[in-house]
Amino acid sequence: MRHRRLLRFHGLKRPRVRQTWNKYNLFNLLRLRTPLLQSKTFFQQKWIAKSMTRGYHGEHIKEYKWERMFSRRPLSAVNMDPTYMAKHNGSEQASGRGSGVSNLQVRNKGNFSGMTPYMQMVFAPMERRLDIAIFRALFASSARQARQFVIHGAVTVNGKKMRHPGYLLNPGDMFQVDIERVMTATGQPKRPSQNQKALPSSESSEEPAEDGGEAEAEGAATEAAEGATEGVDVEAAKKNHMKTLSELKERAKKIMAVGDKRIQAKHKKQLRKFLRQVKVAMDSSRKQSVSEMTSVEEELSSLLSDLSLTPAERKAKAEAEQEQEAATSSDKPRLNEKQRAVLAELIAREAENPHDPSKPYATPWRPRDWMSPFAFIPRYLEVNQRICAAVYLRHPVARPGRSEVPSPFSPTLSQLAFNWYLRRS
Amino acid sequence: MPPRIRGSGSQPLLLLSSLESAPSSSLPPSAALAAPLHRSTASPSPQCNRSFSTTPARQVTRLRRLFKDWCANNAPLFRYPQPGQTNYVSRILKQSDFHEVYPNQPFPNNPAFRSEPVLSETARETIWRAVMVEGLPLKAVSAEYKVDVRRVAAVVRMKEIEKKWEREGKPMAIPYAKAIMGMLPRANLTERERREGRPFEPINDIHVHSYTMQQLFVPTSESREFTRADAAKAFGDHILPPDEKMRIPELVEMERKISQGLPPPQARAEFVEETKKSEQELAAKMRARLQAAEDRRVRVDSGRFEFRFEKINAEEVGPTGRARRAVGWRYGVPLMDRKRGEIKIPTSVE
Repeated sequence: MRHRRLLRFHGLKRPRVRQTWNKYNLFNLLRLRTPLLQSKTFFQQKWIAKSMTRGYHGEHIKEYKWERMFSRRPLSAVNMDPTYMAKHNGSEQASGRGSGVSNLQVRNKGNFSGMTPYMQMVFAPMERRLDIAIFRALFASSARQARQFVIHGAVTVNGKKMRHPGYLLNPGDMFQVDIERVMTATGQPKRPSQNQKALPSSESSEEPAEDGGEAEAEGAATEAAEGATEGVDVEAAKKNHMKTLSELKERAKKIMAVGDKRIQAKHKKQLRKFLRQVKVAMDSSRKQSVSEMTSVEEELSSLLSDLSLTPAERKAKAEAEQEQEAATSSDKPRLNEKQRAVLAELIAREAENPHDPSKPYATPWRPRDWMSPFAFIPRYLEVNQRICAAVYLRHPVARPGRSEVPSPFSPTLSQLAFNWYLRRS
Repeated sequence: MPPRIRGSGSQPLLLLSSLESAPSSSLPPSAALAAPLHRSTASPSPQCNRSFSTTPARQVTRLRRLFKDWCANNAPLFRYPQPGQTNYVSRILKQSDFHEVYPNQPFPNNPAFRSEPVLSETARETIWRAVMVEGLPLKAVSAEYKVDVRRVAAVVRMKEIEKKWEREGKPMAIPYAKAIMGMLPRANLTERERREGRPFEPINDIHVHSYTMQQLFVPTSESREFTRADAAKAFGDHILPPDEKMRIPELVEMERKISQGLPPPQARAEFVEETKKSEQELAAKMRARLQAAEDRRVRVDSGRFEFRFEKINAEEVGPTGRARRAVGWRYGVPLMDRKRGEIKIPTSVE
């Protein structure tokens, strides 16, 4: 089936609440009101209700498919209190009227008061679909993403790979999603901008690139002015600085030139970035003071030393550093119990959620932005987040005062939508 | 509708500008054509930093500005989860469609749907321990913790997989689990929580049959004791009374014994025994059914494949000859499964 593409999926002008964790969606959810329908004909009312509700409930499912799934008999359940069942056989409900007993204190407990919202159950059959169940179990950030997971073979049902997003779950079915996919879908995305933030000198690297020639001219002017006022001392320091920078550059170039097969593409990329930074530093050094220069030098040299080491070497270096630290700290007072506990906890946390650049999401893993307003798990699912598995316990039901179908629409709209589909089923 | 290209409104202008720049002495640039061109250059598009592109940037509409403002104002509220708490829009929206919005309501317009607590990690561990270590029957655990029997079974099933992964050293989504648990309402099923709060969920649900949803007038004598069983019969011959539909009928039996004067601890012990017995009976029944199915089958192992033969009676086609279970090609019954474009999505996975 060709998948329908939607322009303006999260529009602001004609807002539609969707099954996603998007911030536009949150804004639209806050603005969502039941439209004024008094002036409309009944057909128009139903049409509006249908189009609004279908924009949320399985908008990626074709209308004729949904019409075949729709059921005009919503499921409902009532809790029967065992104490009440043991004490009464139901005849007490008929007794009293005309026999003198007026106010019975007998109640079947365990139910909410109020009517059973059958009309909020219009889209209950939709919740049986595998892709929507995955979204409801909070394994994907949208129903469409959940659908993609299924198609790409990342989902198993009862331990067998299931590639049909339209598979209707049966009560007792367990579905499981690949952990990496879930972490990618629900975690902060890995953006190049975020990686750049970690490096301190990258922000300054963009500025000269933008206003090119002007900056250089300015730099030359300031250089001339400084040279005139402060004299030979600064000049010498600058010369030194430039020399070290060029040495660093040479070293980096040598590493590149060796052409070691062990150097990965990522490594090379980092080296090139480093070279660029050196160049920027050399350009901007003309207007810097001496202290700034030294700090830049230190930074760059440490960067290069990190870059030129292989992972094994880096590990060895870290260990050596640790040993050194231990040696220096042996004569100092050692950590007390509390500090050690805190340290152990920190280490455990790091081991659990490590920084790992090879992952497709930002590490250490954090939940994605704007997610928490959409975080709920309906009662017909039981989810184990650690293994990213969930069991579809039963079909969603309506109870007195509660409906288990997560729908953002008011009873009025749902009722009108129900009426629309009544005509066609 | 064909897909629209963004900023397509400016395309004629582009075309015009290319026309204008063409060196043509016979066609002097007309004033009418030049006018829109000038207008487009006179009103600079907002924040156009793409110097190489002639497509004007999208206008910042009032709605977009509102959205940006809203994002800026609400970023601290909704962008990051509140540690250990839910963070629904009901935090700031107290009234919607002239109705009160409850704190556990993720959708302000729908008061019927609430975000209900989920079992915390400790609660799952407790349930797993009760079933797998202490060996209590599922029904007894369900009644003890007020958790649905099906949920108890699901918790144990998934916990077993989790333990297996732990033994194998397979990586688990622990940071994800922690973050999600922090965002959801939780139930720990501790002693105190069970004594004071509401039960975790209703465990004695019965399905409402559609036959019983109608209003019925049944004339009976005033002296007659009209019970639930009588009511069920009045609704239809095959309608079961609620007593027979109870998921844990032993629980009703226990309550009956308590009301007759049996001390509650003894009644509870008897309840556990009864549920254990009923569970064993059910297991025996299932085993017998599987055995019977196996007996019907003949397995032939050829080394490469295992053939399984089962006896089928082709005459069993129902009264109309169109029974769904009937096998083989039958006259007048279309075989839809061979039709082009039929997608055969499995209806169940064993």
